[in-house]
Amino acid sequence: MEPVNLFDLATRQSQWLAVRQTAIAGNIANVNTPGYLARDVEPFEKVLDRTGMMLGSTQPGHMGFGATEASFRTQAQEYNGALLPSKNTVVVENELMKAGEVRRAFEMNTAIVKAFHGMLLSVSKG
Amino acid sequence: MDALTATLRIAASGLGAQSERLRVVSENLANAQSTGNFPGADPYQRKTVTFVSELDRVSGGSLVDVGAIDRDPSAFRLEFEPGNIAADENGYVKLPNVNVLIEMADMTEANRSYEANLQVIRQARDLISMTIDLMRTP
Repeated sequence: MEPVNLFDLATRQSQWLAVRQTAIAGNIANVNTPGYLARDVEPFEKVLDRTGMMLGSTQPGHMGFGATEASFRTQAQEYNGALLPSKNTVVVENELMKAGEVRRAFEMNTAIVKAFHGMLLSVSKG
Repeated sequence: MDALTATLRIAASGLGAQSERLRVVSENLANAQSTGNFPGADPYQRKTVTFVSELDRVSGGSLVDVGAIDRDPSAFRLEFEPGNIAADENGYVKLPNVNVLIEMADMTEANRSYEANLQVIRQARDLISMTIDLMRTP
């Protein structure tokens, strides 16, 4: 059966959000580490653009080239504020804001999946 | 390891590092008046703590670890107090190089960072339970 596209998309977005949350946790944990550069995940749109060109796997034995957690790249962010003497670029307020964004997006994501799931149920139950 | 579990792990390492820092601050404050116990002896020397970032090979995240607890090499305060047991031949006592205001500022910062890490844990837990809620029948 053809996988329903929306579930696939929602799964990918929730994986991306989880990876982003990990990046935020790393930044907050290292808020007082000298020389630490704040990191973030590449934007979700970029991930979607990239996955369009990936090879599909038709058998379980094939190497996966789809969007797995490992394929979301995290990179050190550009920083355009004044650099502290400790060369640390984490701003706690920014990180907490990003965490709020992740939370909102995740709530939206689960709500949509729930609604879609309810539709499927109502169809199959009749 | 899935990303949200890794998040919990990273935030827990942050909690550990900040509480270690709070411990060092409390040591400094408790010993802010500790002098030596023989004439001319060195008093308590302020401790400092540094953090290092550490790549967690299991989850790919960056944990934080307490790197080293060093001694502050700045000069001791001198006070004229000939009756003290630690006074040298001129009557001066060396007092610790602990500045209570700096320790207080350090404590506030450690507190703030600890709270931020707690917030991350709280949120990761909420995200996990939102996902589990998907399985509940509406």
